[in-house]
Amino acid sequence: MKKTYFTLVHRWGRAWCLASLLFMLCIPLSVSVYFNAWPPLQGLMKGLLAVIPLYWATAVIEVVSYAPLMGSGACYLSFVTGNISNLKLPCAIAALKSAGVRPNSEEGEVVSTIAVATSAITTTVLIAAGVLLLAPLLPYIANEGSPVAPAFRQVLPALFGALLGGYLKKQWRISFVPILAGVAVLLLAPAVQAGILIPLTVIASLAGAQLFYKMKWVK
Amino acid sequence: MDFRQAPFLYILGSCVALFVIAQALFFLRRAWKQGLALGLPREKLRSVVTSSILFTIAPSLAIAATVLALANALGVALPWMRLSIIGNLTYETTAAQAAMEGLGATDGLSGQVTEPAVFSAIAWVMTVGSVLPLILLPLLLKKLQSKLGGAVSGAKAAWADLMSAAAFLGLIAAFISRAIAGSGSPEKLGDGAGFVSLLTLAAAIGSMLLLELLICRKGWQWLTPFAMPASMFFAMGAAILATRLLPEGITQLEWRG
Repeated sequence: MKKTYFTLVHRWGRAWCLASLLFMLCIPLSVSVYFNAWPPLQGLMKGLLAVIPLYWATAVIEVVSYAPLMGSGACYLSFVTGNISNLKLPCAIAALKSAGVRPNSEEGEVVSTIAVATSAITTTVLIAAGVLLLAPLLPYIANEGSPVAPAFRQVLPALFGALLGGYLKKQWRISFVPILAGVAVLLLAPAVQAGILIPLTVIASLAGAQLFYKMKWVK
Repeated sequence: MDFRQAPFLYILGSCVALFVIAQALFFLRRAWKQGLALGLPREKLRSVVTSSILFTIAPSLAIAATVLALANALGVALPWMRLSIIGNLTYETTAAQAAMEGLGATDGLSGQVTEPAVFSAIAWVMTVGSVLPLILLPLLLKKLQSKLGGAVSGAKAAWADLMSAAAFLGLIAAFISRAIAGSGSPEKLGDGAGFVSLLTLAAAIGSMLLLELLICRKGWQWLTPFAMPASMFFAMGAAILATRLLPEGITQLEWRG
């Protein structure tokens, strides 16, 4: 049963990835056809060469980093809908914690898929509603002078602080190593991108936890 | 009529939103059925849905707000499409800027796109730059996860759980350390590590610890799914209060720029 469900998830995920790839390519194609506006190849290549080395390298790192952290269904869904590190992954982690299931179990697979799917639907509906219905209000919210703007600038510390708080109770001993490693990297290179910083802190965290486990400081 | 606001683009945007929702519903329905087949209580699955919705609201509003950050240059429809599928603001902004510079539009996103050819170039660069995961996942995901599954099903379940928690903590730590010591954009105030980011972080951690304590001591299990989103909203509220009540010299203090 277990094998069958996981096999099916991968089959569905592959089919949806292919469909998403074709669908995504249809967006610029439709724009070009509808407006009869084909960009000059040389200019287009300049633009692509400026972003592809970074984007594609980051994509490889993200796939390798996030795949073991999320369930299969959650992973396929997250990479189509985007906003993984700042929304889908923390949402999946929060759901796994509150449901009290292990991330790598079949229950974890189910719970993380439900969490990410719900999050994807909520985000898509809210963005659509925001764009289509609340457009006059959103500039007020996003505006630098808006009273709520400071809250939106601090979404990431608020979100990841809450997640860390959830871990501190049980895992406080192993929490400090990756944070100190991250701070050390940022002291040397304060503008380092999240795509580079995440693998470094994950490696530091795994190494620290392994060391503490061997020294019997954690069980 | 401004071509960036053409009804055709809104129709295309609606198709993108429907596609994403259809895919999410497809997986949600099957995971739900499987959860029930595994014996997970319906209430637990409902609570996952509720807490995920609550958890997602604030970041989604932030994403919706970023659509408008790009709207001056690109109109609303294209940023909406791109931020609904794969995209995020950093990627899309960089891609749009690179495409515009590639076609000689030197003022970049500070100006408005007036040429449909530039507009379609931006759409192409944004898309081609972000599709690689859709090629990699079908090739790699099963292999990556089967290796992890093998490690976990062994005798060292406690060790595997510890390593899994450590991996999550590593990811969380990247963002925590950025709130402590990361720099933001040089032109923007309030996005780098400073007083407000540290206060928000402390408020979120403190609130979560307090709620966990209440759940544990008072036996308020009903609070569990709300603890994480409530702590997040509390911390965001603390950021607003601090910015309004404290002197600018403190709230605008960013030690890394």
